[in-house]
Amino acid sequence: MLPYLATALLVLVTAYSAVVSFRRPRDGSAPTWIFPNRTRRSAQITVGICTLAVLLGGAVWLTISARHSIRHSSRFLIPEGYVGWVRVEFQVNGASPMPVEGGEYLFTFPPSGVLRTSSSEEYGWAKDHYFYYSEKGTRMLPATSAGGGGLIWGKINGEETGSQGKRKYEEFFVGTEQQFREQPR
Amino acid sequence: MIPFFLYLAAGVATGFHVYTLLMLAVVGAPVDLLEFVSLAGSLGLLVAAYLSLFKPNAAARLALPASLAIWCFYGPAIARTVGWF
Repeated sequence: MLPYLATALLVLVTAYSAVVSFRRPRDGSAPTWIFPNRTRRSAQITVGICTLAVLLGGAVWLTISARHSIRHSSRFLIPEGYVGWVRVEFQVNGASPMPVEGGEYLFTFPPSGVLRTSSSEEYGWAKDHYFYYSEKGTRMLPATSAGGGGLIWGKINGEETGSQGKRKYEEFFVGTEQQFREQPR
Repeated sequence: MIPFFLYLAAGVATGFHVYTLLMLAVVGAPVDLLEFVSLAGSLGLLVAAYLSLFKPNAAARLALPASLAIWCFYGPAIARTVGWF
């Protein structure tokens, strides 16, 4: 819907601005509703007040939502050598809650790559850490932007409806950028 | 007020659309430089909307290159969607 609306409005604006830019108004011709000379003072003030209200409302909303979206950092432990998608399913009845270590949620994935927890998903910005784990210890996995040599890609937060009602989940891909781009999804 | 609402609606619709496309980069989608050109054009339309309240002709002269900048992205995208190339 949005692409069609945007394209239609773009066509209108291009045509309208071209006509207004290149037309030569006849001397003494009165302004019309479609080609106004300038807007009334009262309308200018109304637009200014409405703009200010929208900007202020946006700032207040952003401030309030930022205060309510505190998220703990997470430490994701992935089996050594695992390549592929991993998934955390939240609010699963009967599953255990996520343990917290050093102020960080600890997500230890089984070899299947699917982890279920009764804990709720948290929202907001936080620095997460990713590791491969084995009997020998842990090895950090870098999470970078494209071309940075990272091993964590395509993080997705979603919601799906199943037999237990709505369930939130988080997924991301573990592997090289090339493996991420070549993998079937 | 017609030019104001026209430029504002077009600037918001195209800007929000291209912004959502740019946000797909966080899940690994490639970013096109033309998306940034289009986003700059949307910003130009927003400026033109407020300018149109005082100087409609100057606003139109700003809105025209701004909309052409937006077409830099929408033109090839539409052509590819309908299969022209």
